[in-house]
Amino acid sequence: MLFWVLIALLTLIASLAVMWPFLRNEGHAAPGAEHDLAVYRDQLSELDRDARRGLIPEEDAAEARAEIGRRILRLKQAGISGTSAGVATKGKLVAAIAMTGVLAVPAVSWGFYALLGTPGLPALPLAARLTADPANASIDELIARMEAHLSANPDDARGWETLAPVYARLGRYADAAAAYRRTIELSGPTAEGQARLGEALVGESGGIVTADAEAAFEHALGLDPANPRARFFLAMARAQEGKPQEAGAIWQKMAAELPDGSAWKSAANQALAGLSVREGESAEPSEDELAAVERMDPEARQDMIEGMVACLDARLRENPDDVEGWRRLLRSYVVLGMTNEAEEALARARDALGPDSPDASALADFAVELGIGKGK
Amino acid sequence: MSVELGHFALVLALALALVQSVVPFAGARLGSLSLMRVGEPVAITGFALVAAAFAALTLAYVQSDFSVLNVWENSHSAKPLLFKVTGTWGNHEGSMLLWVLILALFGAMVAAFGRNLPPTLRANVLAVQGLIASAFLLFILLTSNPFIRLQPAPMEGRDLNPILQDVGLAVHPPLLYLGYVGFSISFSFAVAALIDGRVDAAWARWVRPWTLAAWAFLTGGIAMGSYWAYYELGWGGFWFWDPVENASFMPWLSGTALLHSAIVMEKRSALKIWTVLLAILTFSLSLLGTFLVRSGVLTSVHAFASDPTRGVFILAILVFFIGGALALFAIRAAALAPGGLFHPISREGALVLNNLLLTTAAATVLVGTLYPLVIEAFSGDKISVGEPFFNLTFVPLFLPLLVAVPFGPMLAWKRGDLLAAAQRLQIAFVAAVIAGLLAFFMIDREAGFAAVGIALALWLLLGALTDLAMKSGVGKVTPAAAWRRFTGLPMSIFGTFLAHAGLGMTVLGVVCVTALETERILIMEPGQSTDISGYTLRFDGLSPFTGPNYTEDQAAFTIFSGGVVVDEIISSKRLYTARGMPTTEAGIKTMGFSQLYVSIGDEAAGGGLVVRIWWKPLVTLIWLGALVMMAGGTVSLFDRRLRVGAPTRRRPARSGERTA
Repeated sequence: MLFWVLIALLTLIASLAVMWPFLRNEGHAAPGAEHDLAVYRDQLSELDRDARRGLIPEEDAAEARAEIGRRILRLKQAGISGTSAGVATKGKLVAAIAMTGVLAVPAVSWGFYALLGTPGLPALPLAARLTADPANASIDELIARMEAHLSANPDDARGWETLAPVYARLGRYADAAAAYRRTIELSGPTAEGQARLGEALVGESGGIVTADAEAAFEHALGLDPANPRARFFLAMARAQEGKPQEAGAIWQKMAAELPDGSAWKSAANQALAGLSVREGESAEPSEDELAAVERMDPEARQDMIEGMVACLDARLRENPDDVEGWRRLLRSYVVLGMTNEAEEALARARDALGPDSPDASALADFAVELGIGKGK
Repeated sequence: MSVELGHFALVLALALALVQSVVPFAGARLGSLSLMRVGEPVAITGFALVAAAFAALTLAYVQSDFSVLNVWENSHSAKPLLFKVTGTWGNHEGSMLLWVLILALFGAMVAAFGRNLPPTLRANVLAVQGLIASAFLLFILLTSNPFIRLQPAPMEGRDLNPILQDVGLAVHPPLLYLGYVGFSISFSFAVAALIDGRVDAAWARWVRPWTLAAWAFLTGGIAMGSYWAYYELGWGGFWFWDPVENASFMPWLSGTALLHSAIVMEKRSALKIWTVLLAILTFSLSLLGTFLVRSGVLTSVHAFASDPTRGVFILAILVFFIGGALALFAIRAAALAPGGLFHPISREGALVLNNLLLTTAAATVLVGTLYPLVIEAFSGDKISVGEPFFNLTFVPLFLPLLVAVPFGPMLAWKRGDLLAAAQRLQIAFVAAVIAGLLAFFMIDREAGFAAVGIALALWLLLGALTDLAMKSGVGKVTPAAAWRRFTGLPMSIFGTFLAHAGLGMTVLGVVCVTALETERILIMEPGQSTDISGYTLRFDGLSPFTGPNYTEDQAAFTIFSGGVVVDEIISSKRLYTARGMPTTEAGIKTMGFSQLYVSIGDEAAGGGLVVRIWWKPLVTLIWLGALVMMAGGTVSLFDRRLRVGAPTRRRPARSGERTA
């Protein structure tokens, strides 16, 4: 309500400003000529002053005086012809313009404000919001309160400990990591604290287990070798380093050891499932990877191809039902000139697929095309 | 409530600006004094309302009211109070509000102090001011409203760009805008004169102090911006020919020309049409600068706003005012009576030369600034017209101007004697040549540029001194009489002296830094030392430091001279946590007029730190010179003769002073 009174008052003041000259009722305009004359008189006295100080030689001063005199003369002649014409005040038109001006003030201002303003919304200074009743505060508000409290009492370890997981859940990983660090600083390292710090760091780097994060997990395992969080993420680090076997081993162990219903058990199982899927993908290099291979020097290239073939080989040992996979493996070995390995793989494939199966005979035909498997 | 009151005050200010642009103008047409007088209370009330809106926004920043979109986007509760306040104009919306606030301030000043102006002139001037204010208030309310609310309000803001979290933001934009917008008064006077079809005698006397004030502010603003970029951006340059810098430099050049042509007009009633045109051009360049910076057509450090609707809106404002004023000029200029005649070799002639060179220089800067934009618009290629272009075009135009500067004040009005002026300047000339030769043989034999530059700078400094000495009659009258005459000199003569000497100082600083600075880039381990220009710098090590809203690594250096510890320098790399943005904080030590500038880079692979060290001889003169120029403008402003109709103080003639 006060707001509406105040803006009405402001509008009134503004309208009064437009009306002001009419309330005072000024007389007629002094002709412009008088103002010009004042300036010229001023120039004359200034000239006299300069001449007296010796800034202008006397003859120059005389000339300048004459010029100003000429201007005054010209002005007076113009003034006689100009002022007598006069300007009749057109009373009605003036009143109409004045009235429009006065009315335009509320019309324009209230009109624009109705379009643009948010009259119902009070100002919300942060300090006032932080001291309001916490019962109906939002999560953001509670966090801000906690932050304000902690910036005033930075040694409140419990406060940091409470805030850190909240940050992590909201995806503010950098803040979460800082909060965990502070907790560790204040109340000493714990396995869970270190592991959570590591997790926050992983979140901050978009899921990559960085060296910092790995150090935190190692630290956690040093304090408690069974900490599942640290173990889980260290396995992930292995997987990201391209050591899926090591990662798989850790996860398998976790899945075996942890009790049913443990969140980490299902996480480990999921990771294992993901690992096998990913491995399947990585056996088949993408276009980009192949292009990269083209650019490598011959020795590195050979190494990489051999590594990839070995990978494929290992996968087919575990999952031998993949006919296409066997074909690729055979061709790869032949291209690499590793005929012994090719023969051996062909034998393994025949055993796995069943010696009399149509798949096996098709593979045998394929092998003949490649120039191997003639012995059998 | 305060936020919404501020919003309403701004809307009300628009209503008043519209009234101000129509009613006094109609009054001047109809010859109604009452209607003409409406402009004054309305201009003053309008200023009060814009000031109230600005105060409301500042309050929202200080109180971290994140229910205001603009505050949320550009502030953070952990920011120090000073940067909360300056953050008000450290963003597009707020800086436009500051722009309009200053415009309203100037309008209110014309209203308050313009009582002795002819009423029609005053009414027309206020109407044009009202029109400019209306256009920009509409721009703010429709495209860049700082009072848009956010509901529900976030608890924390996104922080201000760390580069702007500096004292420079407190000083640079307000000064710059006082300059830019100050030229709107000259523009309004010019348009008012064209509407009336006559230039009153009071015109030049009014235009000159306003131009002077705007020019002094703009000089300070540009210098402050240059120093800010110098220490904040961390690569030690003082001028980059960046389009944003050019945007402020162009109105300065044409404003300087306007200042000088206004003298001719005031004293001799000559160059009327030219002065009117310059007044229009100067403010047009200010508007162009506002457009370039505010529309986001440029992408550089300053361009912290980008939105095509804004660009189109400002472009429309630009076309309306510049096009309208020039069209009016084309129709009416012929009606303005030409003034007094003069000989080419005269004070007027010298000022015309000054005008020609300055406006041509402004034109080259304009070409260099707009050409890349035009190329980009038509072909999509991004090209950069950098220093080489300006060295080839701007510098050759500016050198003859600098040579001519000391002659100007020596020449008499109407017809002057070049030979006599040259004779009076011979001491300055000889001294400058000797200094140049000394510089050539002792400092820099290869370039020759330093020698010419130093000679030129001294020529300006000594030329300005000679003028002062001649006007006091040194050598012609007794020392006592000369002193009396010196103290009695009009303020504007001291103003001229300071402005010309300041120019000399700036030239000296620019030449010395450009030609003689030394630079070292190396990787330093803690404990390692390096020599630069007679000083030894020892890197003591890195240490972490936590500020209110940033963390930084501070590198400490100890400076030795001849084995003795002189001082220490701290240079740091800062990380502003809210935005995760790094900045470099250069370490600078001033020794006399020179500076040692240390900026640190990344840690090298081997564990050392990349360190860049510059020795910048006489670098501070660049900005001190600008401050002296600004002081010159201010001193000139206090010349009582600039006030129209001021009562004259009669003094008895002193016969002893009449010798000259």
